[in-house]
Amino acid sequence: MSPLHEQHFRAIENLIFEWARAIDENRVEAIADLLLEDGRYTVKSRFNHDRDLPMAIIDSRSAAQLRDRIKSMRIANIYEPHHYRHILSGVQIVGEQAGVLQVRSNYLVVRTMALDGDMKIISTGQCQDEVILTPSGPKFKQRLFLYDSRIIETLLVIPI
Amino acid sequence: MNIPSASLDEASIQGPTSRRHITPRTWPAEGYTRAPYWAYTDPDIYAQEQLKIFRGKTWNYVGLEAEVPEAGNFKTTFIGEQSVVLTRAEDHSLHVVVNRCAHRGNMLCRDAFGKVKKLYCVYHAWNYNLQGELTHAAFSHGLRGEGGLPADFQLSEHGLHKLRVASLCGLVFATFSDEVEPLEDWLGDVAQGIRRVLHKPLKVLGYDTQRIHANWKAYHENPRDSYHANILHTFYGTFGLSRQSQESGMTLDTHGRHVYFYTKAGTEKKSQDFDATSAALRSVNDAMQLEDPGILKWRDEFGDGVSVQILTTYPSFVLHQIANSLATRQLIPRGVGESDLVWTYFGFEDDDDALTQARLVQGNLAGSAGMISVEDAAVCEMMQRAMADGQNGESFIEMGGKTLDSGGNTKLSERAIRNFWHNYCLDMDLA
Repeated sequence: MSPLHEQHFRAIENLIFEWARAIDENRVEAIADLLLEDGRYTVKSRFNHDRDLPMAIIDSRSAAQLRDRIKSMRIANIYEPHHYRHILSGVQIVGEQAGVLQVRSNYLVVRTMALDGDMKIISTGQCQDEVILTPSGPKFKQRLFLYDSRIIETLLVIPI
Repeated sequence: MNIPSASLDEASIQGPTSRRHITPRTWPAEGYTRAPYWAYTDPDIYAQEQLKIFRGKTWNYVGLEAEVPEAGNFKTTFIGEQSVVLTRAEDHSLHVVVNRCAHRGNMLCRDAFGKVKKLYCVYHAWNYNLQGELTHAAFSHGLRGEGGLPADFQLSEHGLHKLRVASLCGLVFATFSDEVEPLEDWLGDVAQGIRRVLHKPLKVLGYDTQRIHANWKAYHENPRDSYHANILHTFYGTFGLSRQSQESGMTLDTHGRHVYFYTKAGTEKKSQDFDATSAALRSVNDAMQLEDPGILKWRDEFGDGVSVQILTTYPSFVLHQIANSLATRQLIPRGVGESDLVWTYFGFEDDDDALTQARLVQGNLAGSAGMISVEDAAVCEMMQRAMADGQNGESFIEMGGKTLDSGGNTKLSERAIRNFWHNYCLDMDLA
């Protein structure tokens, strides 16, 4: 294991947990503050990734684009009310390049529908993140969610 | 043990299906201006659709030529519920076969894409060439004079089930029917909408599959429904990509099976009735300002000012141009109440990087997480649940008038939906 893992593990783990908790507590706007202004948030299928195909279902190429997406979710988009619970595991700092920490973790998202209470695992996969330690704490330079299934259940409007 | 014989008899005649009867269905007297909700919920109707529509006289989209560019490439996909394989043979010809060994029915291809020299069944090593002809069956002559296939067995009589194949501008379609007219005749005037977009070699950018818990027809009606587009989808109206006040139109083929709509951004025609109606629409929302409107910057790459074109062919295909986002959508039914919608995003081989990046960024607008289009799947599922068991109720489809022609070419019309149900009833022998 990288020596960096021991040194920064708690701070990085906390950053990943903060992201998930903000979404699960319906404070989705707060995730944009964890992304650098020129950072990137991408949700892409393992299917495309394995084939070197560039298309991602969500690709916010700045914190501003992520805020726009969250705004669209709040005021423009129509969907049945639901919320998420993130289950996270296996946080590891696997390397460092020019001050950017390479981080891996696993995620699983359970979606609960507000009207009828239906619950379903809607996504699971690996996060491949790049994190920079700034004076105000660690921030994501890149968050890449690689989801394992080719299938998206109905729609993905709340970010994961 | 002493079991009375009467109870055995009873058991033998009371199986779970012995009392099942098929409800005879009668279409509402108003015809194609109504769609009864049992059409979306009845498993017997669904079973008939597989035979009469998906394996009937229709051309079904199976993929892009660019997905099987080289000899030996294959793609596994579906027509209706039937798994099929698209292959490119050594002579570069395209073939579509049922993905099922002619021997005992095992699935041949288990990968979505691949490159092979032959199609091979793992169960008993029956081999087929890329055209679907049987070339070898393991131990067909037995061993030491014992076993093996009968003396009159002919390899040529046991090939895979082959479909008719045709392609247009890089789109590949297949049909189970020997009777349906050639592809371009079947598409009629709607082929123009395909030629307009697909005018040079394509490059696949990626896939997105959306599982929608609704009957396939609930989705199929959606891109034929030009009435909803600028009402449900706030993003369109607010940012001016597509509004009712802009120059727009609709083209159907002579049979009304297929349709495409277009809208030209930046061609607003002011009118009092538009201003009055749009003020009340949820989709014209002044609060919806983007911090980074770069996502909506688009190039008029076809040189005709069309910002959105949505093209639908019966029964399961859509081609979209939303600004510079280009994709096919293939509708795959998975039971009476579930469908997969497979989005294949593409650009052109000669795109520069800036155009490729624009297509990828605009990918945020469409698909299963699309800021424009997430609403469609939500509405299909809400419709399906509101239909409940489908035993009562019907939809009302008279926007633009009551006939197949009424509504003309205006987008404020359900003409293309009436034409769908007209063709559906013909194919399904429903009246």
